[in-house]
Amino acid sequence: MKFMAARLGAATFFVSLASSVAASPNESTEAAQALLEDTCLVCHNDTTLLGNMSLDAFNVSAAEQTQELAEKVIRKLRAGMMPPAGMPRPSEESLQALAVELETRLDQAASENPNPGRRTFQRLNRAEYSASIKALLDLDIDAGAYLPLDTKSANFDNIADVQLLSATLMEGYLRAAGEVSRLAVGDATASPRETTYKVTRWVSQIEQVEGAPYGTRGGTSVVHNFPANGEYRFRVSFHHETTGALHGSGRAALHTVDELEQIEISINGERKALLTIDRWMHTSDPDGMDLRTEPIFVESGPQRVSAAFINKVEGPLQDLMSPHDWSIASTSIADSYGFTSVPHLRDLAITGPYNPTGVSETPSRQRIFSCRPESPDGAFACAEAIVARLSARAYRRPLAGNNLAALMKLYEVGFENGGFEHGVRTALEGMLASPHFVFRFEEPSGTSPSDPSGPSGPSGDAYRVANVDLASRLSYFLWGTPPDEELMHAAREGRLSETNVLEQQAMRMLADPRSEALSTRFAAQWLRLSDLEKMHPNVRTYPDYHDQLKRSMYRETELFFDSLVREDRSVLELLSADYTFVDERLAKHYGIENVLGDEFRRVVYPTEDRHGILGHGSVLTLTSHASRTSPVLRGKWIMEVLLGSPPPPPPPNVPELEEAGDAEGGRLLSVREQMEKHRASPACNSCHRMIDPPGLALENFDATGAWRIKDRGVPVDVSGELYDGTPLTGPKDLREALLGRQTSFVRTFTENLMAYALGRRVEYYDMPSIRIIERAANENGQRMSSYILGVVTSPAFRMKSISFEAETEAAAEGLH
Amino acid sequence: MGILTGKHLPRRTFLRGMGATVALPFLEAMVPARKAFGATSATGAIGADRTRLVCIEMVHGAAGSTKWGSTQHLWSPAAEGRDFDLGPTALSSLEPFQKDLTIVSDTDLQNAEAFIPEEIGGDHFRSSAVFLTQSHPRQTESSDVLSGTSMDQLYAQRFGQDTPIPSMQLCIENVDQAGGCAYGYSCVYTDTISWKSPTEPLPMIRDPRLAFDMVFGAGGTAEERAARRRSSQSILDFVTGEVAELKGTLDAPDRRRVDRYLENIREIERRIQKVVERNMSGEMRELPQAPAGVPDSFDEHVKLMFDLQALALQADMTRVFSFKMGRDASSRVYPESGVDKGFHPASHHGDKEDNITDFFHINRYHVSLLPYFLEKLASIDEGGQTILDKTMVLYGSPMGDPNVHNHKRCPLFIVGGANGKLDGGLHLRAAPGTPMANVMLSLLQKLGFEEMVSFGDSTAPFSLSV
Repeated sequence: MKFMAARLGAATFFVSLASSVAASPNESTEAAQALLEDTCLVCHNDTTLLGNMSLDAFNVSAAEQTQELAEKVIRKLRAGMMPPAGMPRPSEESLQALAVELETRLDQAASENPNPGRRTFQRLNRAEYSASIKALLDLDIDAGAYLPLDTKSANFDNIADVQLLSATLMEGYLRAAGEVSRLAVGDATASPRETTYKVTRWVSQIEQVEGAPYGTRGGTSVVHNFPANGEYRFRVSFHHETTGALHGSGRAALHTVDELEQIEISINGERKALLTIDRWMHTSDPDGMDLRTEPIFVESGPQRVSAAFINKVEGPLQDLMSPHDWSIASTSIADSYGFTSVPHLRDLAITGPYNPTGVSETPSRQRIFSCRPESPDGAFACAEAIVARLSARAYRRPLAGNNLAALMKLYEVGFENGGFEHGVRTALEGMLASPHFVFRFEEPSGTSPSDPSGPSGPSGDAYRVANVDLASRLSYFLWGTPPDEELMHAAREGRLSETNVLEQQAMRMLADPRSEALSTRFAAQWLRLSDLEKMHPNVRTYPDYHDQLKRSMYRETELFFDSLVREDRSVLELLSADYTFVDERLAKHYGIENVLGDEFRRVVYPTEDRHGILGHGSVLTLTSHASRTSPVLRGKWIMEVLLGSPPPPPPPNVPELEEAGDAEGGRLLSVREQMEKHRASPACNSCHRMIDPPGLALENFDATGAWRIKDRGVPVDVSGELYDGTPLTGPKDLREALLGRQTSFVRTFTENLMAYALGRRVEYYDMPSIRIIERAANENGQRMSSYILGVVTSPAFRMKSISFEAETEAAAEGLH
Repeated sequence: MGILTGKHLPRRTFLRGMGATVALPFLEAMVPARKAFGATSATGAIGADRTRLVCIEMVHGAAGSTKWGSTQHLWSPAAEGRDFDLGPTALSSLEPFQKDLTIVSDTDLQNAEAFIPEEIGGDHFRSSAVFLTQSHPRQTESSDVLSGTSMDQLYAQRFGQDTPIPSMQLCIENVDQAGGCAYGYSCVYTDTISWKSPTEPLPMIRDPRLAFDMVFGAGGTAEERAARRRSSQSILDFVTGEVAELKGTLDAPDRRRVDRYLENIREIERRIQKVVERNMSGEMRELPQAPAGVPDSFDEHVKLMFDLQALALQADMTRVFSFKMGRDASSRVYPESGVDKGFHPASHHGDKEDNITDFFHINRYHVSLLPYFLEKLASIDEGGQTILDKTMVLYGSPMGDPNVHNHKRCPLFIVGGANGKLDGGLHLRAAPGTPMANVMLSLLQKLGFEEMVSFGDSTAPFSLSV
């Protein structure tokens, strides 16, 4: 893994602007002002107020006094979206010169008076909670079982000021602390309870499920944390038709399989039970669609449990229609005549322990119990060593004040009730319930005894984030986990605040596999991959789409972004890369040959059609409707996600664009034909002539991202004109047009990276910092590391404004 | 009962081996027959006499809603007013509670009908979302679901905040939240009857253990729960201490946020304190072992859920329940009803009198599960009154004649003393075309929403007295 030694602009942060500012003569300002008045004021004046914006009082030479407005102007100019299509358009050079003029002024003003911004403290979200538990206790948990859904803001789930607190939420953290501490230590006195793992109906149950033994098909495979050694019962239930009969009973198949279907329950790959499925089982049976095993002895700790069918169907099937890969999208149609269908697992429930006998060694216990009391007198000392070690990691800072004593008090409460292990577990529960674990407090540097970095930074309005807090910022940004020992060491020594140490640590962390979180957490959220979860393409139109294909699509985009980070490639390759990552399933979907098996591998596209993420199945599917593509959604996605300029919402009283007949003259209309019909309305046309063309350029990709040349029998027409007048004749033109506007794209990427890193929305006053990062990266081949390190070394990441207004308010509160 | 045909044998044989071991502890003995618990509760809780609301839905309408069935009075009695005979009706088991019973016959759920051609046929996948919201659900399989705020949630949001848990949602049948169900409707429309807002369907709990843990805290036995509560107390004390130590080091806005956090912690402390108080009364300590999971039989499952509701009401942990006893298009057979047909097939009676009679037996069986619950509530004395005196139990179905999937003349009755807000002992028959929403509007007004002028598609309040 080779990283280019990136030259970083951060050290010369405030100096780097000087040169550009110096080259700003009066003529350029005057020309810019004239252009603005001639071009923009036609619509954006005090009377017409189009877009709720007036530039009547706007003065280019004093742009810094109306920075928020100026940044809006810059954004539209950089994206090429203003002046809009249909209006007179001055030369591109003069428009960009206006943008540059404004940027120069704003950046100079910011360098004289920097504003790093501030946010309140963050709380561990679901993903961070799970990752923190894994790092601390080597235990895989699903935080979703305890914590409510995270509220997203500006694309991300870690934005501090929308992380509201409520008693119910806090109860969730307390419950999690209780349950997780018991799972980690083991609970020999656990009473039986049931855990259900659902299998969605979108999962193909023809293919082998990841983790299940070979020779099986479908079902599910999970790692279940067993609380104690003891007996457990396993219950499986199956999908049924609306009539109540077992789905896939073979009644309607062309060829009935003679053998009865069997489902195997295995633990760590070893068969523990084999249940035969009664073809005639029915929901009206006393036991419905359920089958149960005898009690099975299982040891405590994480064990892989699979419930999978013995595969009895091999080779091609001679069906009349083949939604064979798909699961049962609708139980009412899938068992129709002419389909081969097989039983589908609906859920797996694990109940126990019955007759618990104790706990076995588990990875978590090994992590926790670093010592054992040699004698009764030694118990406290051993426990204290354990608690001190774990809590420093859990709190992500050296212990201070009363921290250890308070936890040891809990140990003693637990010890009284149940001895040494019970005491340690109680202390662990306290640790996980502690605000120091749940929240990421940031104390002003110098105020914390644990931070030797001295008093605040250069400006009186802001202070430097303390070393240990900087370590957490860095590790949750790059890894999505708490800091590791090396990072904490640098923080404890007070060196992390030094720019070169910070950069060096960031580079080390980027080279670590854990930086995959930039792809699975940051990029997945920025690109809205999770919208794929909501997409269920119509089974009749897209019979080959199913859950596994969806996962492959998701994974493709993650692996692709990860390769950009890992190989330190240019961010522009997001749009232009001639390679991607596919497994057999996705390769087949894309029409790429000679890819076999479940392993993803890097392939170079055989044609230019699919380059970059605009050819990714994930993006193309999540911007479609269930039965057809949506040029509107695709266009909107490009404007919003890639260019940071979402189209305005439709004005009131405008008819729903896509709601009208989709057939005419006895045939179905293609999506494009429908769009054109709707766009005949002038009210719609003014915006949709901007939104639709980028989407229409992708019409060769169907609603699941497969290549097509016809839509509903009509040859696909991808021609159009981008909002800035660039002619488009397909995905390649679109990519090139976007690359021609790369400032918009790169800036949007940087803004998103910054928002995710900071845990707050990026504001207009952050734009000068973003442009500094952008310029430094331009000098360095627009490599990923330039942006990442640019963010890490920016004042916004390392500093925090003091909130005067709030201080005054608090002081006033203190008076009464 | 002729359901045990030969084809079932291999599985039956297998199940017989399991039968004895899977049986779960029943919570039957949980609620003591009479208890001197009232004093603590009456003085202890705020607004202790606020009416408890339990909304129960059974799907698939009723035999009495069919043309022939209505002439035979298979759902509600022939006579209106105060003097009626429940004997021949599906409500016969409610005779002991007749003085607390208000039957409202012949109201409609227009909002459960199809509004546009695409919605035709989707009744099973739409009805439950209408029952307590009286709103017409948007046909969608995506996450942009839309119905209305359900009456139980309106009540909980305004009056349920005094109790540790504002409201609980329980169900019996398996749910399938993932993806669409049929006819272009998201499964949540079929899975729940409680809507926190028009866009927020609330999940319903099927596993009695989960519900049990919510009400009484995690832990399989009374000792374990008590131990956990003690350790929770220590943990909360510890957390409060941590916060106090922390505050000095934060700046003002963060400090204010920490203050809010501390309020949350105190709120949780208060909730736990309430449970402890109940325990000090000497009764709850008798709670048996918590159920392990979902029991095998419908009967057992429903009774367990009723046990839980009675216990939670008794402990004043919550005052609002919604309980979904069936799921649309379910083919479950209820052997105790004496009919061996599945619920859904039986509901498509083809207008044959024999079939309608079979369906009637199923209706009657469902209603007959209620007295188990009502008796429990009646046995709990709270300062001279029983819980039943303070409770309003609503039972109904969002469908009328299931054979044709219509939503006219739907089953609905209210039972329980409702703090004297209802006269009881009444059978009222609505004029043809009266929305069920009118009745719910009146109930909400009686529950404290005096200012409310409409609910769902209501046209006017419905007078619930003679």
